[in-house]
Amino acid sequence: MARMKFFCDAERCIECNACVTACKNEHEVPWGVNRRRVVTIKDGEVGERSLSVACMHCSDAPCATVCPVDCFYTTGDGIVLHDKDICIGCGYCFYACPFGAPQFPEEAAFASRGKMDKCTFCAGGPEDDHSSDEYKKYGRNRLSEGKLPLCAEMCSTKALLSGDADIISDIYRKRVINRGASAFNWGDSLKLGG
Amino acid sequence: MKIQTLLLLVGLLLPQLSVANGPPKEVNFPEGVSTERLGGDLWREVRQRDIQSSGISQVKGVESGVLINANGDLWARFRMQELTTYGGIAIAAIFAIIVLFYVVRGRVPIEGGLSGNMVRRFTDYERIVHWTLAIVFLFLATTGLILLFGRPLLLPLFGKEAFSLMASASKEGHNLFGPLFLVSLIMMLISFARRNIYERGDMTWLLRGGGLIGDGHASGGFFNMGEKTWYWMVILIGLVIAISGLILVSPNFGQGRTIMSLAHVIHTIGALILIAVSIGHMYLGSIGSEGALEGMKTGYVDINWADAHHDRWGKVCHEENLIISAEEYARLVGQRPATADEMATAEQGK
Repeated sequence: MARMKFFCDAERCIECNACVTACKNEHEVPWGVNRRRVVTIKDGEVGERSLSVACMHCSDAPCATVCPVDCFYTTGDGIVLHDKDICIGCGYCFYACPFGAPQFPEEAAFASRGKMDKCTFCAGGPEDDHSSDEYKKYGRNRLSEGKLPLCAEMCSTKALLSGDADIISDIYRKRVINRGASAFNWGDSLKLGG
Repeated sequence: MKIQTLLLLVGLLLPQLSVANGPPKEVNFPEGVSTERLGGDLWREVRQRDIQSSGISQVKGVESGVLINANGDLWARFRMQELTTYGGIAIAAIFAIIVLFYVVRGRVPIEGGLSGNMVRRFTDYERIVHWTLAIVFLFLATTGLILLFGRPLLLPLFGKEAFSLMASASKEGHNLFGPLFLVSLIMMLISFARRNIYERGDMTWLLRGGGLIGDGHASGGFFNMGEKTWYWMVILIGLVIAISGLILVSPNFGQGRTIMSLAHVIHTIGALILIAVSIGHMYLGSIGSEGALEGMKTGYVDINWADAHHDRWGKVCHEENLIISAEEYARLVGQRPATADEMATAEQGK
């Protein structure tokens, strides 16, 4: 079995936000919810870097640990998914997640939380593959069609990579070496005459 | 050897890849690579979470510019380990202490039994305030405990679907009726505050262990020192719970994860303290002490109960002639007059 991961190469990300837009469009994510976002550090300064962030599909996911109704599960591919029929929208996963991945649609008065929504690695949910229920709740299930997440697939600079962790780390390792960089200066390799 | 070390470090430096890579391949590495760490400081800060708000994002939202917020991990550990463990122990311990106390001391009877002559203790409005707060509190405590201990205790019993329904109803109910707690708390503060101010003699009550330890009753006024302390606990901890609850219930005032998880910690610790002490209050107000429940049930208490538990207030009642006869009392609470048999029983009791 593969171990699915995202990886964003800060040397390549140009903060175009296409991954964010593609995700929203592909899954018809509700208003106010963004499963993916691009964060720019040192915006406008020397050493500016951007990273695209979504659910990291952690091995030991804190969201699953704190969920009071135990709605999370990890697939055989190492993707962390959740069951919206079980989720009660309490927000505990949002407190626990270090990456800010869980999102909540504002459902009623005083922005009370609806059921949690997050990146599914384009793998849908517990419903039957390609069923309309699955699409409505979780968006498209690309993985069952043999496709990888759209955000990474359409990334114009190939900064965002998705897929089996071994393959992605191989790709990144080759990149680092070809840039003429050492592992000690991740994030500044392009400035060092490479 | 050097290259292999470098490649190993590349693998280690990828925070998003948790799986160890295979053995590194041999590659030609350019000569004279600088190992100066120009960006090192930046990424170290990101990983050590020192620059929480300095990033920006086109996605608008609270903390959307924060890459990593490690406070969530602290909160998760508190919620899953300390809170459930010690909270559970605290509630279980209070139950055990009360059961033990009941076995040892039994129900505390009124000295000289019931007289049948009553004295007014609470007005209707005061009783409504008390029971509104009590019902809202019990509802919030129950729904809160379901959310806190449901996953280890109830989920295995009912299964995920049924428990999810229960938890969902608990969450919605808790959020909906939570603000009512603040309202009834303020009503409680206004109508009972004056009589709960500490006064002379309260220290004596405390030194005598409130009459729970040893023989005889400790002297008390309208409220004794224990009741006053419970009252101020309800008001002060209750206000803390209400305010932290409002921070949690409506996440649209720009409060971030750190503030909300902190509010959750305060909310749950405060709530568990109040729940634990309220169990003691409920025991003493009902089966623990004969005649105590009457005061909140009808608004009247037996004069013998007042003399036994609140002697200073009982004395005032005697002096100001506030005592109502049994017949008058029956008329006031809308009961039929006592029959001759019942009168005889009451006489025997005297």
